[in-house]
Amino acid sequence: MKAHKLARLALLTALALIIFIIELRIDIIPIPGAKLGLANIITVYAVYKYSTKETAMIVFARVILGAVFGGNISAIMYSMTGAVFCLTGMLLVKRIVPLKFIWLSSIIGAILHNTGQIIVAIIVMRSLAVISVYPFLIITGCIAGAFTGLCAQFLISRKLPEKENKT
Amino acid sequence: MTKGVKLLIGAVLLIFAAAVVLAVIGLKPSESTWVEIVQNNKVIYKLDLSEEKDRTFRIDYPEGGWNEVQIKDGHICIADADCPDHTCIKTGELRSENIPIVCLPHKLVIRFSEEGAGK
Repeated sequence: MKAHKLARLALLTALALIIFIIELRIDIIPIPGAKLGLANIITVYAVYKYSTKETAMIVFARVILGAVFGGNISAIMYSMTGAVFCLTGMLLVKRIVPLKFIWLSSIIGAILHNTGQIIVAIIVMRSLAVISVYPFLIITGCIAGAFTGLCAQFLISRKLPEKENKT
Repeated sequence: MTKGVKLLIGAVLLIFAAAVVLAVIGLKPSESTWVEIVQNNKVIYKLDLSEEKDRTFRIDYPEGGWNEVQIKDGHICIADADCPDHTCIKTGELRSENIPIVCLPHKLVIRFSEEGAGK
């Protein structure tokens, strides 16, 4: 991997991490597990701009570092499963969803993310009690997913300088 | 707009609508006054809220950590905890049959239950 590519991926990871940590301080939604997921703007952006391998690297680095910096290591199981579900879904959906409909794949990613987390919660707690929050997670997930998706869409249509193409 | 995109939009709308319906059903307030506190999938307390006095008690988690449960005016909530996310506190009072108070780090669930005797 070329150095400028590496630097770019590192920059995106750092950006996602900063957004993630700031977001930890502003959680206002009183539903367990519901989050805006603003850091996923970077994920969605990366899914459409970089290869599968590179996107996975950004996301996994973000999740691991986010757990370390956020001081909530025990939650890593939830965020990791969520990330894997979300990423797999978005990478599959990317094949049929064009750039104009990024918000759609972002919503699908959000739904899958929440699904993954609920599955882990059921396994960890060995109880179906948490499933009652699932519909609320889907609703907030759809709204938040549409928002982050639109953000990523604007970001991509801005055509950030791509120096690496010239070399 | 290709067929695939249309199909996906339809699917997402369907899931969203289903979630809204389920959420509305889930918000139904409970008729029971009995609640049970479950830790690690075992019922550790069973209380009748209509008869409980106002009090606060602490539930320790065997692997470290605690939650402080508060009963006030026939309502139950988690007032304080040392878990990292404090989701259980933010959930507030237990209102609906279908939405329990959950503390994932301490594997604690507070929910309405059927009438039952003893603790």
